[in-house]
Amino acid sequence: MLVPERGGAVVPVTVVLCVNGERHEFEIDPLERLADVLRDRIGLVGTKVGCGEGACGACAVLLDGRAVASCLLAVGSAAGHRIETIEGLSRDGLTPLQEAFIAADALQCGFCTPGQIVAATGLLRAEPAPTRAAVRQAMSGNICRCGCYPKIEQAILSCSGGDG
Amino acid sequence: MTRLVKTVTEMEGRFEEKWVLVEDDGLVSWEAEAALRHVGHPTPRLTGPQRVSGAARYTVDVALPGMLHAAVLRSPVAHGRVTALQVAAAEAIAGVRAVLTPASELGFQQRSGPLHDEPLYAGAPLAVVAADTLAAAREACRALAPSIEPLPFTVDIETAWQEQRFDGDLHEEARGDVEAALAAAAVRVELVVSTPGQLQTPIEPHAAVAWWKPDELVCFIATQGMFDARAELAKRFDLPPERVRVITEYVGGGFGGKQNAGFEALIAAELSRRTGRPVRLVLDRHGEQLDGGCRPATRQTVRLGATADGMLTAIDAEALVEFGMSGWRAVTTPALTLYRCADVRGIEANLRLELRRGNAFRAPAVMEGITALEQAIDELAIETGLDPLELRRRNFADRDQSADLPYTSNSLLWCYDRAAELAGWPDRDRWREPQADGLLRGMGCAAQIWWGGGGPPSHASCRLGGDGVAQVVVGVQDIGTGTLTAARMVAAEELGLPLDRVTVRGGDTAPAIYGPVAGGSQTTPSVMPAVRGAAAAVRRKLLALAGDVFEAEPDDLVVDDGRIRSRDGGLDEPYTAVTAKLGQASIDGSGNRGPNPDGYRANTFGCQIARVAVDPGTGSVRVEGIWAAHDIGRVINPLGASSQVEGGILQGMAYALSEQRVIDRTTGVPVNATMDDYKVPTMMDTPPIVVAFAPLPDTLLNTVGAKGLGEPPIIPTAAAIANAFRHATGRRAAALPLTRARVLEAIA
Amino acid sequence: MSTFCRPTTLADALAALAEPGSRVLAGGTDLSGLIDRGLASPTTVIDVQDAGLDRIERCGAGVRIGATATLATVAVSDLLTRWTALREAAAAAASPLLRNVATVGGNLCQHTRCWYYRGVEWTCWLGGGDTCFAQIGEHERHGLQPGDCISAHPSDLAPALIVSDATVVVASATGIREQPVAALYRRPDVDDRSLLTLGPDEVITHVVLPAPPDASVYLREGQREAFSFPLVGLAVARFGERLVMAAAGVANIPHLLDPDDVLHDLPGNPQSAWKRTVLATLASRGRTAVTM
Ligand SMILES: Cc1cc2nc3c(=O)[nH]c(=O)nc-3n(C[C@H](O)[C@H](O)[C@H](O)COP(=O)(O)OP(=O)(O)OC[C@H]3O[C@@H](n4cnc5c(N)ncnc54)[C@H](O)[C@@H]3O)c2cc1C
Ligand code: SF4
Ligand code: FES
Ligand code: FES
Repeated sequence: MLVPERGGAVVPVTVVLCVNGERHEFEIDPLERLADVLRDRIGLVGTKVGCGEGACGACAVLLDGRAVASCLLAVGSAAGHRIETIEGLSRDGLTPLQEAFIAADALQCGFCTPGQIVAATGLLRAEPAPTRAAVRQAMSGNICRCGCYPKIEQAILSCSGGDG
Repeated sequence: MTRLVKTVTEMEGRFEEKWVLVEDDGLVSWEAEAALRHVGHPTPRLTGPQRVSGAARYTVDVALPGMLHAAVLRSPVAHGRVTALQVAAAEAIAGVRAVLTPASELGFQQRSGPLHDEPLYAGAPLAVVAADTLAAAREACRALAPSIEPLPFTVDIETAWQEQRFDGDLHEEARGDVEAALAAAAVRVELVVSTPGQLQTPIEPHAAVAWWKPDELVCFIATQGMFDARAELAKRFDLPPERVRVITEYVGGGFGGKQNAGFEALIAAELSRRTGRPVRLVLDRHGEQLDGGCRPATRQTVRLGATADGMLTAIDAEALVEFGMSGWRAVTTPALTLYRCADVRGIEANLRLELRRGNAFRAPAVMEGITALEQAIDELAIETGLDPLELRRRNFADRDQSADLPYTSNSLLWCYDRAAELAGWPDRDRWREPQADGLLRGMGCAAQIWWGGGGPPSHASCRLGGDGVAQVVVGVQDIGTGTLTAARMVAAEELGLPLDRVTVRGGDTAPAIYGPVAGGSQTTPSVMPAVRGAAAAVRRKLLALAGDVFEAEPDDLVVDDGRIRSRDGGLDEPYTAVTAKLGQASIDGSGNRGPNPDGYRANTFGCQIARVAVDPGTGSVRVEGIWAAHDIGRVINPLGASSQVEGGILQGMAYALSEQRVIDRTTGVPVNATMDDYKVPTMMDTPPIVVAFAPLPDTLLNTVGAKGLGEPPIIPTAAAIANAFRHATGRRAAALPLTRARVLEAIA
Repeated sequence: MSTFCRPTTLADALAALAEPGSRVLAGGTDLSGLIDRGLASPTTVIDVQDAGLDRIERCGAGVRIGATATLATVAVSDLLTRWTALREAAAAAASPLLRNVATVGGNLCQHTRCWYYRGVEWTCWLGGGDTCFAQIGEHERHGLQPGDCISAHPSDLAPALIVSDATVVVASATGIREQPVAALYRRPDVDDRSLLTLGPDEVITHVVLPAPPDASVYLREGQREAFSFPLVGLAVARFGERLVMAAAGVANIPHLLDPDDVLHDLPGNPQSAWKRTVLATLASRGRTAVTM
């Protein structure tokens, strides 16, 4: 609201991002947040911004395979890392995890869903057969206001053991 | 036959008699035993693939060529007078295309606002800027540097009550003589309960993209009511409705808070009108939490009188509401309707405070009312020594107590029994025994009543083309409730086609097929009968054509699972044998929701049981299980329906445990208008939830037998949790949510 | 105009940091919020992720943790199995998404979460104004100590490190110093409202853990089951007979407790006094946990 905005005041530099295996080069304020760059500059709007303050997880992307909040990440800091977005995960059709989300009805409005899928993918890559407790822990940074948690948990557990 | 009939319609408890056009579709409601192929079977969401892959386009994702971005300057004070805005400084910022202030001549009319020179709550919009980039728009907002002279404000209920700052009249509804009945009652209880202000907090904030074209205003709006939005835009801008198109393909949650066009669409349209460019206005999270709306806080007093064996003889409910919706009084409705009782009174005062006015939030007012009433009923059970469910059974109302009309259906007693069975209610006292982990456990229950019968007008069309695909069009958007999926199931059922041969489109006013706002749990009972009607019209025509093709009597033919069969079994052909002959032609049908049955009330009912564990050393309260049984008539899609129930329960649980708008007493500004400080539940907070639905379709109400489901599940959860807390600790907290401070104080 | 750099050596980072107005960025999860709200406006942002400070390695009988090691790595590091409190604190802080980038150094240096300090509508005493709005307003979740600023220290790691007798290595262009973790913090006063003792040109390079405690535990209570700042976060360690306790959430900096009188010095503020009960409970549970 009455708050300063980053951008404008910082010297633009050349930032090279590697997103979903593709190279993107920008003249950009390196403090711009990755979420905005993905959405507005690259057009990857599957990554959502729900809060912009790290508190909801809608903006999750994989950074070198680990799920992070792209709304708090400066593009300058993201440069040089492997970034995967929901679009990247879906490039070769739906993954078993995505299919499991649909089958379990692990989504209602769907706005948090890309972030949930990204976070769950990060979990399953690190830990292909997580326990229920591990799933609950790992997903606790992704808010679903529609309250799909029981079904998200079920969907992830149904993929536990698969390659997610 | 097409007729204009007068019928009573209801939206969130507001009854209205209106003329509606109905076309008798000759359909009778599917019976309880009807063998249905799709309806009633768990079915994954139609738009699942788009939503899980990030391909779904929400309003915040819409980007049009040349689009400008708008930012809002909001009041940092609860009440004040803006004495200066540095408009020139804002306009001087590179990329700024338009600055709107309270002094701007707007192209639309609105009673108050939309921009305020005397803001009456923190977060009230003072000015708006459209610029080439969002960064420039925000910088310009900062440059406006408002000078604000602070004015006095009141943000607490108590003061407002003492100062009699009423918004509208005191609302009173009564029958019998409640004071006399109370005086005569063998058992009396009185309970004062405070409930919190709760914020909808959809993950997609309010948003609109408007494009004022020479011949048409196109608005993408995150709204629950695209036709209401269209009507509002047309009226305010004085445009013919057909020149306004509202598109709402996906909405990232609404929960009641996204009605009509709203501030965002009106302002975006105005900015687009001025600049000739498309304009996007998305609330930031702070703006959303300050100005997206809320369920207002209340303070309620419930007094009950009963006989020694627990028959209610008096119910008196008083509610002070923290600046709720204008003209909307339903906090005391449950007191007036849930139980059979002759002497009843409900009084409700809406207090005017310097706070963002409340708006609809899932079961507005009724949830607040149930939260107080059902705790009082629990106290009465304790007072009379009766099992709380038994007490409720004894006072079961089989007719609407206010209107003195029968219900189209009422399975509340079934819900009591089923919830009790699932939760292991008879053994509930076992949980109060000393526990190995030192926690205090207990179980509580609460009942729920809500409307949710829906009604006309609501329309649908169905078109079956030469490709054999039936396309259904409805006038509603899918805000996550699975409406389009349900429509697909109903259409496939009626058409006798496999699911994948039916597509459904909604979320666009351009086809001019009207549907109601997604509110009041009316979507399913309003839209699905219309869909069925449209599909039935197509089915009849298909069979007529099949009669031509197969030289059979259409009345002898049925279509089932994509095959056209004669009743005698002689004919069994794929339906595509008929549709393939259509070429570019199509079979069209339209349908509409018929009138509501005269002389009835349509309501939903339910009962939930909660089990909690309280840590007396830290004041933490953990919900360990919720068992929910609801009567929503026919369940079209059990999969989506259980999701709705779980979602409602989690929001209700948070109302009892953690969610609360906190307002700074010295400045009147909410302190927790962020998602970090305003705590909604995470997966870790989610207890096991068991859901059951009464197996009784409401065949009187409409042709699919369904009542609504959006609201009911949130209603009893908080009361059930508060009652479980009482059972566990022997104490009742005077206010929700059960923060540690309150818990520790209650059990001290 | 401000600039951004990502030095690849500590020396380069220190040189850049010597310029006035520069500020370290580690995971950025706190700094980016502070910049958004106008609470920080560095002229140079120095992203130290490439400065080689992310290793966790054995160091004598203890372990040396690089300042840019993430909370996620600390929570699962095999080298840290004997520092239970630290691992538990790292696993409980913030959320998984944040722990994957948030660093040890950043967690220790994060600023207060007081809603008046962070809220754009107020400029409170700590932010350079005249009024502590919390004291006259809503302070149910604030600290238990009266004073100019009653905010509640947010870092889960700080108490866990303090009870582990950890030290921090602090470097600047002019040298290196090592001090106990507790000495990183100071109570703000009228002349200097900072909560940290770090100079503007200094950076934490490492946290050094000496020999592990015989037992330790981190107990915390949040507003919900996960993803909530500690309302009260208590670390307890036992070295032989010696018990050490420190807490977050009860004072504006991490608070060392007297194990025999944990509420000493913590009288409570009117709305936050309930935290005394919680602290006392956690202390007795923590004592049991490390002595069993
Ligand atoms: C929504 C949310 C919830 C959170 N919940 C919790 C919680 O429950 N518990 C908890 O403990 N934390 C919590 N945090 C805080 C989170 O852990 C911190 O943001 C994080 O640890 C900071 O780490 P960072 O590496 O991102 O720091 P940065 O944001 O990069 O830096 C933070 C500050 O430290 C300074 N700094 C960073 N590294 C160094 C260094 N090596 N030397 C000197 N100064 C340095 C920076 O200049 C800056 O001032 C939460 C944060 C958010 C956004
Ligand atoms: S507690 Fe500290 S940070 Fe909060 S208002 Fe008071 S001075 Fe500011
Ligand atoms: S948008 Fe990044 S966490 Fe909410
Ligand atoms: S599905 Fe709506 S927020 Fe998760």
